[in-house]
Formats: sequence, C-alpha cells, structure tokens
Amino acid sequence: MPLTTPRRSRALTATLLAVVLTTSAACGNDAPGTSASGSIKIGLLASLSGTYQAVGTEIRDGFQLYLDTHDGKLGGRQVDLVIADEGNGAQTAVPAATKLLKQDRVSALTGIVGGGSVAGVTPLLDEMKVPLVGSNGRPELKDVSRVWHTSYLSDEPGAAIAQHVHDNVKGSVYAIGPDYQGGWDELRGFTDAFGKIGGKLANSDGKTTFTPFPATTNFTPYFARIKASGAAAVYTFYAGSAAVDFVKQYAQSEIKDVPLYAAGFLTEGGVLNAQGEAARDIFSVLNYSPDLDNAENRAFVAAWKAKHDGSPTTYALASYDAASVLDRAIGAAGSDPTPEAINTAIGQLGQIASPRGTWQFSTTTHSPVQKWYLRQVRQDGRALSNTVVGDLATVGR
Amino acid sequence: MMVVAAGSNRIDPYLIPALDGIAYGLLVFVAASGLVFCFGVANILNLAHGMLYAIGGYTAAALFDGGWASLALALTVGVLAAAAAGVLLAGLLAPVAAGNHLSQALLTFGVALAGGSLLVAGFGPDDPQVLVPAALEGSVVVAGHRYAAYRLVFIVVAAVIAAALYLVMRRTRAGMLVRAAVDDPEMVACLGVSPARIRAGVLAAAGALAGAAGVLGAPIIGPGTDTADTVLLLSLVVVVLGGLGSMGGTLLAALAIGEIQTLGVALLPSAAPFLLFAAMAAVLAVRARGLASRWRAA
Repeated sequence: MPLTTPRRSRALTATLLAVVLTTSAACGNDAPGTSASGSIKIGLLASLSGTYQAVGTEIRDGFQLYLDTHDGKLGGRQVDLVIADEGNGAQTAVPAATKLLKQDRVSALTGIVGGGSVAGVTPLLDEMKVPLVGSNGRPELKDVSRVWHTSYLSDEPGAAIAQHVHDNVKGSVYAIGPDYQGGWDELRGFTDAFGKIGGKLANSDGKTTFTPFPATTNFTPYFARIKASGAAAVYTFYAGSAAVDFVKQYAQSEIKDVPLYAAGFLTEGGVLNAQGEAARDIFSVLNYSPDLDNAENRAFVAAWKAKHDGSPTTYALASYDAASVLDRAIGAAGSDPTPEAINTAIGQLGQIASPRGTWQFSTTTHSPVQKWYLRQVRQDGRALSNTVVGDLATVGR
Repeated sequence: MMVVAAGSNRIDPYLIPALDGIAYGLLVFVAASGLVFCFGVANILNLAHGMLYAIGGYTAAALFDGGWASLALALTVGVLAAAAAGVLLAGLLAPVAAGNHLSQALLTFGVALAGGSLLVAGFGPDDPQVLVPAALEGSVVVAGHRYAAYRLVFIVVAAVIAAALYLVMRRTRAGMLVRAAVDDPEMVACLGVSPARIRAGVLAAAGALAGAAGVLGAPIIGPGTDTADTVLLLSLVVVVLGGLGSMGGTLLAALAIGEIQTLGVALLPSAAPFLLFAAMAAVLAVRARGLASRWRAA
C-alpha cells in the first residue's frame, strides 16, 4: 500500500487551500473604555489597536493635550474623558460607541478614525441626540445635523492643489491612487478640479489609475506605465504602509526625477520616518504643518514636543481643535449644557482660532472652511520634515 | 487596452516590469520551494510555511542596519530560527500519520495562527521598516532604465540558491535519502535511517529556505501582519501551477507568477486584482495536474 497520496489529490488540496485563503478576511479586536464620575462626560472613540493605531493614538493625545493645557476643563467644567477603542472599523466601533452613549451617557462624542466607523455610529447619535465632533474620517452623509468635523472632506486636498499643479507643471499629469472609497474621493477631488481649469491627465484613457488595495505592494509595473505615458508630474494619494512602499520604490524607479505631488497623508507622521531619504522633495497638500508661523501653533507645537517625540500631525491637530470646539460650545451652552444645547452652540461658533490658522464650520457640510498649504519634504535639523512652501486655496462649501 | 509609447518602440516600456517579474518570481521560487519540497517529497502539508517566511522577514527588519555585517547576521539568525521552527513543527507532527493531510493542515494552520500572533505581539502591529545595505539602497541603470539595485542583486543571489538546491537534491547523499524515502519508506527504514529524522530534516530544510527567502526578500515582500498569508497563498499557487514533480515545474510556475504580477499588471492594469487567479483557473481548466507533467519528462 502506498504511503503517499496521488499527486493529483495533493494539487487539488493546494487549490482548495488557495481559494479558502483568498476569501478569508481580516478581523479585529476591541477593548472597552474606562469610566469615572465628573461634571461633564466626553466620549473619545479612536483606533487604539489594529491598522490605524498610529492615527488613533495621535487623536487621543491631541485631545488630551488640549485638556492638559486647559486645567482639564472644557467650557469651565471639569471633564471626565471616557476613551474607547474603535478597532479597525464599524464592526468594533459601533459596540464601543453604544457603550459610550448608552452606558456612560456622554454629553458629546469625539475622535473616530475611519469613515466607515462614522457612518456606523451616526444612527446612534440621532437615537441618543448627542453631537459628534469628529476629528478624522468623514464619509458621505445625508443628515449632518449632529455631525461636525474638524478635519476635512476627502476630496478637498486634491481640489486645493489642482490650480498650483496646473500653473507649475509644463505638461500632462499622471493620476494614480488606491482602489477604495478614500482613494476614489481623494483622486476625484484632484482630477475634477484639474480638468475644470484645463489640466490634462497623462493616463492613457484619461482616467485615474487605481491600484488594488491593500494587495499592491509592488508599484514597479505602474511606474513603467507612467514613464511610457511621458507625464511631466504625478499626483497621488496613499497612506500607511502603501505610502511607504510607493515612495521608497518611486525613489528607486525610472521616474524618480518626475515631480511627485500628493495629498499630505503620503508623507505625514510616522510614514515619513519609514520613507527616509526617499521622501525628499515630495510636494504635498495639507491643512496643517507644524512649522506654520502663528501664536496658536507655536504654543501647540511647544506643548506637544514637551510630551512627545517629534512634531504633531494633522491628526493630533484636528483632535486638539475638536477639544477647542467643545470648549467654546460647552461654555456657550449655558448653565445646563445638554447634548442638544452643545450641538446648537457648535453651529453658532463662527471663526475659530487654531494652530492651522483661523477656520469655521461650513453651514452645509459641517466640516471646516479652511486654508490649505503646499508643503515640501526638506531637511529640518537632523530629520526630514514637511516644510510649508506656500499657501494654496481656501476650500470648503 | 494596449498602450503604445509615443516615439519609442513597443517593448521598451515593459523591460523593467519584465525584469522585476524575474526578481519577484525568483523570490516566490525560494519561498515556495520549501513548501513544494515538504509536500511533494516528504508528503507533509505545512500550512505554517508562510509563518516561517515571516520569521525571516521580521528578523531582517529587526537586524538590518544598513551594513553588510547586519545582513550576514540576519541571514544566519533568520535561517536558524526558521529551521528551528521547522524542527518544532516536525515534532508536533510526529503523532500524525504520514499522508493524513487534513490533520496536518489543521495542526500546521493552528501553529501558523498562534505563531503569527506571537510575531505580531513581539514586533508590533505596524509593518516594520527594512533597511537594506547602503550600497544597494539606490538604483542602477539597466538598458537605459532605472532599476532598484537591491532587486538586481537579489536576482543573482536567488539564482545561486536555486542552483544550489538543485545540486543538493540531485548530487548529495541527503538528497538521495529524501528522494528514496518517498519512493520506498520501508526500505529506507530497513537501511537504518529513521523516517522521523528524515521528516525533521525535511522540515528544517524547508524552514531554512523560507527563512532565507524571508530575510533576503524582506525589502520586496516585507514583513507585516498579512505576510504569512500572502506567502502561503503564493506558494500554494506555485504548487497548483507547477505541480509537485520537478524543480523545473516549480521554477517555471514561480517565474510565471512573478511575470503575471508585474508584466501582467503593466500590460493590463485594470485586470490586476484577478490576473493571478485567472491564470490559475486557466491552468486548472486546461491541465488538472499543473504545468509540471509536461516538463517532468525533461
């Protein structure tokens, strides 16, 4: 009797396994926040584990920094900050938000990294009549009556830089990005605005090239196409490890001398350290840079650097501003700052002074009308950092 | 769908993707050969194979500091660690009857899950940065195109590993024993060679290969939370495409995967997400036993 099974059945086994592995999806864990008593309860939901841990940590630290520099008070009231882990998305975010809203009975919610998490949490806000001052992800929403964001809409960075790229690039521009909602929005923002002012894409079919996400780790074949297209510049958006792969491979590719323009997340925060020299000279557009020259920013950066290594990111800034928004709104909400009163007060704040410069909430989207900056990765002391080289458009609607 | 570069000839834009396909294909070959070796020669289905690669990858990320010495150290440590993990697997597999693929799959998959969690717990959930030796950090000009120096050198190194593997299997006593153990395990046992030792040896060798691929391939398929799954998946596709019969089939299948993932993407970017599996389905449809049967005779 043979001890080995026939090769055919082994090949079949391998096939089946390959199929099973392809269809299996990632999963995540979450942990509940803590609870204590105080005069006003604020719930902070952010990814403290999983893929977006780095962003979630910045968001938590940005909010905490505002509290630490304001005696732990918002609107004159001692804050009981309840922190919960958003995990990788709505699957873990919704239970965590449910706990914050129904068990801890927070007066306002802040944070939330993922757009999908925000979409999942929104129905709960309406049910509990509690406002969200989000500091990062912002999906398409039908009803924003209780949703406010201190960050930006995903199509705004591209829209803000389009004119600059059109004015400074002599030739066509190749647009490339990751194939998911965030990538579509970011690239659409650029290509729509760029097309309107007469800019021409170098892509062969005149449309953005989207790379499978997160499966694409080797960009060499795409770089070959960009080279063949004769593009005079490239516009892109990637974040996280894809941003590191893209930038490192770009610097070693045959299009390394083609100017690279990007939404600021390509070189923001931890990914810039991982990219190192490869990121030098990349242009990016963002609503914040730690070297902005205004009094609020100098105080913010100094306070951040006293507690953390490195400079604050736009994620930390947005969360710091979320605390600032709540500070004013709670103060303006009167002697009984109910969630409804806070929500109404947020809508009447007007101009808000911030480390990024003055901004205000749009009355239609409830996200900032703000100025965007052109930055370039340059030497700053011993490290490379994003240095502001100019002002771009003020965007918001 | 085809794009013709203005002014230059039709082949020129695809030279670099084709070259990169060879680098990627050879990496897949070195990574997959351990699995094919275990499965085809020793009849052990090792679903923890991707984890063995990840051990090498994390070792590279932890030890590479931009110098040559760190590369040598990482290669030594990575190969030894992955080989040791292979021996451990052999020990765990001892009670499982040879050829019982379901039990082997369950056991090794469990080990892969536990091992993967340990690696993430030890090295963190973020993809670590891999620093290649400074001399290979840049790019070189190949036929008028820029190409990453590390990948060019990797092609040479991986080709040497493939040749060495072939010689070991064909020309050494160890290779002969392993091949003999497949053809007639009872007779090999009668010769005084314990099948348990052969199993441990095969898994150690497979681990060493995966570890070497993990260390050297870290700048190409870098360590991260899904590296183990990616490598296991690619290795299984190699088995499907190349069969289990010959190293030639494995090499051809790995190179085909490399070219599909690079040249194929450059030619048909809109089909990038499913090119690999379309190729796998096509091969299965045409020839259920994979490409290998055609080359086994050669």
